[in-house]
Amino acid sequence: MVKDETFFAWLDGELDAEEAARVEAEVAGDPKLRELAAQHRSMQARMKSAFDTILDAPVPESISTIARKPEPQVIDFAARRALARPAWPSLPQWAAMAATLAVGIVVGTMVPQRSSAPVEVSGGKLYAAAALARSLDTQLASAQSNEADRIGMTFRDQAGSICRSFTEARSSGLACRSGDRWQVRGLFAAPEGQAGAYRMAAGMDPNLAALIDSTISGEPFDAAGEKAARDKGWR
Amino acid sequence: MDRHLPFEDELTALLPRLRRFAHALARSPSDADDLTQMTVERAIRSRSQWQPGTRLDSWLYRIMRNIWIDTVRSRARKEKFEAPPEEADSIGVDPTGGMEASMDLQRVMAAMQRLPEEQREVVALILIEGFGYREAAEMLDLPIGTVSSRLVRGRAALLALVGA
Repeated sequence: MVKDETFFAWLDGELDAEEAARVEAEVAGDPKLRELAAQHRSMQARMKSAFDTILDAPVPESISTIARKPEPQVIDFAARRALARPAWPSLPQWAAMAATLAVGIVVGTMVPQRSSAPVEVSGGKLYAAAALARSLDTQLASAQSNEADRIGMTFRDQAGSICRSFTEARSSGLACRSGDRWQVRGLFAAPEGQAGAYRMAAGMDPNLAALIDSTISGEPFDAAGEKAARDKGWR
Repeated sequence: MDRHLPFEDELTALLPRLRRFAHALARSPSDADDLTQMTVERAIRSRSQWQPGTRLDSWLYRIMRNIWIDTVRSRARKEKFEAPPEEADSIGVDPTGGMEASMDLQRVMAAMQRLPEEQREVVALILIEGFGYREAAEMLDLPIGTVSSRLVRGRAALLALVGA
């Protein structure tokens, strides 16, 4: 008598040709097995046709809308740049100074001895750490929903390194690829008392906008360019 | 030409199959749609973990199965300290409405609910979703022999429940 497992594996087309032929012959010569095979085929057909009605039913809108790409966080950088220019006539120098200053001010509070700190100091330079480094490595601005960190823009600087702007719980900033790490070029603390809501705020920190303006070469990456850059390891 | 559809398009195309799998696992149509929605949300959040070129369907089924197991376990923990489940919980009919399931669908969903979870997931993947034993074993992280013996028991129970 054929084992149950083998019998059903035959019924499900899981046996190789030789073994299938052997079971086939055994079933053909045994009315009880023939009956069992027919019953199971019919039971499966009933189950399948009942569940298959779902394939033809409309997918509820609540599900189909979330399957669609969430709109990328659009930062109208050109408009911001146009607005910013008259206000800051000698922008690059000013921005670089501001960035240095901002890093100096926030490092004291942003680099506590905790594993959750967004940045770490190594060889006198500031790098993205832990969760922030992971977000910079993996997250696409075009596909983020409610991650703790948000990625803004991705672009190349004048030296050709890829840079990404980000916003995390208590700060926003700019990090550029340096070897296998993200060197932080600027980090701007959220205004006092706004830390929690800071990442929800629509506007970019003007200091960060200025820093990006002085760093960027060409246009920021679009969604496809961002993904391609990630797939190549941000080289 | 190895041109892949964008992630969102592939995901959208798979929604009807995901819903079918959810209905085979969950106890009511509204639970099934909650399960589908949670699966899609998690898939979008963790899309960077999916490797393009590998099967998106298997990846999604696996996510759904894990969410379902978590839900079942946390519900079991809760119900240990609460009143026994209402009658409506043990049959596959959603008393609050949701989508109106056909009589046939209600019957087969009710039958699936009578199977132990470890048989139900195997039956759903192989008999309803049409995966091979090996694919199902990989999705469930089980040896193929375990899958095949659970399928035998699940089949026997279903034959008794829904008839031939």
